[in-house]
Amino acid sequence: MEQLEIIQSKSTPYINFDPETGVFEIGGDSYPENSHEFYTPVMEWIDQFLEEGEKPILLRVTLTYMNTSSTKYMIQLLDRLEDAHNDGRSVEVQWFCDGDNERELDTVEELKEDFEMPFNIKNREV
Amino acid sequence: MQRFDLLSLRNTFEKQGIMISFNGYFSHTVIEQLGEAVKKHLQSDEAPKNRIKDVFSVFIEQAQNLKNYTTREDIKLPAEKESRSGTLIIARNEDNYIISSGNIVHNDDAVLLREHLEPLLGADKDELKRLYKNQLREPLRDDGGAGLGFISMARKASTPLHYSVKELDAETSFFTIEVII
Repeated sequence: MEQLEIIQSKSTPYINFDPETGVFEIGGDSYPENSHEFYTPVMEWIDQFLEEGEKPILLRVTLTYMNTSSTKYMIQLLDRLEDAHNDGRSVEVQWFCDGDNERELDTVEELKEDFEMPFNIKNREV
Repeated sequence: MQRFDLLSLRNTFEKQGIMISFNGYFSHTVIEQLGEAVKKHLQSDEAPKNRIKDVFSVFIEQAQNLKNYTTREDIKLPAEKESRSGTLIIARNEDNYIISSGNIVHNDDAVLLREHLEPLLGADKDELKRLYKNQLREPLRDDGGAGLGFISMARKASTPLHYSVKELDAETSFFTIEVII
């Protein structure tokens, strides 16, 4: 499988999913013109990766902003990882937040509520 | 005689505390550029980080709603180009920021907008959270679906959302939404 790398723009996040290490990184602002177009290839990549092996997965999120349609895709991504976790795969989410920004912390805490897999909220250097 | 009465325009802006305004065709590039301006402006206004985040978020949701609706090909709006333009302002009064936007909608869509918005007006924080979480896992719609955006705005607002629908003629209305943060 090829590495999935997408360069950041003002409204689309940086993405680097490495199939060798199982480390998935996503960061920046996410409010694409068309979320469906942006996230469909990302979801397809994930589906293929999940099907192909048993490697542990570490998702590292340093997103600074997600609009509502991006949040829908993030939920879909997390749902897939949760399923993999329930199937016995090693999965960890590390979500980096600006510790001085209550709103950012609240949003991620709320997202975390729906998942059983290891989900760690960490402090991001701002 | 000058064609533009800038003094009266300026007085309107000053009186209403309007910091940023845009009227015209909302392209994605316009949204990105305005978004950067909004962030910089709020930082220089020394707004707390929470506030900057909320104002930016509500701005993006409103601007993308405007863009998504006014560029949809299946919506029959009058041929004049103003019917596909949107108006958005960000204002500040003493304690709050206000993000408000408006555009021409088909009367059938005005009915749908009411259906989306009415249940949010009386909902408390817990109810809004429940609605938000339910909607997050709803299948994605081709038209972008403003439902989740409105719930998200309602959750960030410090008072219930305000909206208005002013009928222009048998086909169209002018829709506005106002969010106070």
